[in-house]
Amino acid sequence: MESAAEIAAAVCAGRVRAREVAQRALDRIARADASINAFTRVTRERALAEADAVDAALAAGRPVGPLAGVPYAVKNLFDVAGEVTLAGARVTRDDPPAAADAALVERMRAAGAVLVGALNMDEFAYGFTTENSHAGATRNPHDLSRVAGGSSGGSAAAVAARMVPLSLGTDTNGSIRVPSSLCGVFGIKPTYGRLSRRGSYPFVTSLDHVGPFATTVADLAACYDALQGPDPRDPACAQRPLEPTLGALERGAGGLRVAVLGGWFDENAGPLAREAVQAAARALSATRRVELSLAEPGRAAAFVITGSEGGALHLPRLRTRYADYEPLSRDRFVAGALTPAAWYVKAQRVREAYRREAARLFEDFDILISAATPVEAQPVGTEWIDVGGRRMPARASMGVLTQPISCIGLPVVAAPIPLPGRLPIAVQLIAAPWHEHLALRAAAELERQAVAASPRPEPAKVVQ
Amino acid sequence: MSTNFSPYVDASLALHALTLPDDARRAVLEHFERNAAIAAAFLDLPLAPDDEPAPVFRPE
Repeated sequence: MESAAEIAAAVCAGRVRAREVAQRALDRIARADASINAFTRVTRERALAEADAVDAALAAGRPVGPLAGVPYAVKNLFDVAGEVTLAGARVTRDDPPAAADAALVERMRAAGAVLVGALNMDEFAYGFTTENSHAGATRNPHDLSRVAGGSSGGSAAAVAARMVPLSLGTDTNGSIRVPSSLCGVFGIKPTYGRLSRRGSYPFVTSLDHVGPFATTVADLAACYDALQGPDPRDPACAQRPLEPTLGALERGAGGLRVAVLGGWFDENAGPLAREAVQAAARALSATRRVELSLAEPGRAAAFVITGSEGGALHLPRLRTRYADYEPLSRDRFVAGALTPAAWYVKAQRVREAYRREAARLFEDFDILISAATPVEAQPVGTEWIDVGGRRMPARASMGVLTQPISCIGLPVVAAPIPLPGRLPIAVQLIAAPWHEHLALRAAAELERQAVAASPRPEPAKVVQ
Repeated sequence: MSTNFSPYVDASLALHALTLPDDARRAVLEHFERNAAIAAAFLDLPLAPDDEPAPVFRPE
């Protein structure tokens, strides 16, 4: 599978038809996904119809979008017209099919991209591993005995295994950045409110973000640009105009003031994560180490807000269908629903104090670096991980470094840092609100120096 | 001083009309205790009165 940029260029130049590209992607999914389990639905008919529409537009001389003929897939919480939006759950299986596409699916179609399927996830996005008891675990393309990360695990694994060059996911506490790290792909969690969430199954409305995955920074930026724009039908959308980033990538990191996050972010990083941070810091000439003193309270606030809002959302169905909920998360949903109001309100107020602390840091720096996950991908079924000599619950703790950042809505690019002989792990390149272009420029510089890259899985691991 | 959350969890489950098997009730209590331990990181954090939540609700 080529990059999205190469596919779009070839389709637009008439070197290949979009239908051939779609058919190749469908064939590859049929071969490779038997071992990965990233897809919960393959939308073959729609894919071929969308590809034919691109070919017809080109033949008629009509304009096609920047992602013309590029296959992509979406986490199965995005509405796809005519399909049931599962959100990783059993209790949704009898819901009526979506009447319309989600806003981001509409935008991908308008950009010429071709939807080939829906992807596995932790039920209702409450998890960091994509060990889905209903659909089975999504396997890490770099080691099939290990998890892909979550909750957008299918989205990261499908891109890592080169089944599609682009995918869409969501990130409430790390659900784009964690699977990016474990699967070794690029992902962007934009500023809270940047992209429309219309037509995506909510989890925690105060914290939910949406964003893309890709194998190159240019593909990530092109896809992110295609997804931007106001949407009055999403009340959390900040309604900002398109602020393109792709053209800024060639500027690299020149002039960017970069620092490494210490404190909480260092204490909760394992040896491999620290190596990755050091490699990125060297490449971006980051010599300063700074701290966010409210990172731990901020992470705790996000944790409490997540339990409370998520639990309240599912309370009606938990009363009647508790047994049909994911065994790995249903008791967390119930416990969250019991959160005292005073805790929840205090958590929301902590965010404001913490946001101001981060804003002061961004007066002196453009990019902050931390690891994206404390450790690399763990074997499916792992209950505990060891970080810095402390035993931590594996499924909840994979987000310990991402959760404090999404708590205050900062934009982040997860950039995979391949280290010889090791499983993938990523760094977070964190920018000030509405400065996604700077995080993407830093990622592009790491890619240019071959410090960041999305490694191809070994052929023996995944059917090619 | 550790707090016994069991009476709160039982009362709150009843308040929310959640009837769970015993093993689930125990698991919920464990998660609630864990949530409380994590919340302790901010429950005593001093804040100014104008540290307000940032609502996104924007009436047209």
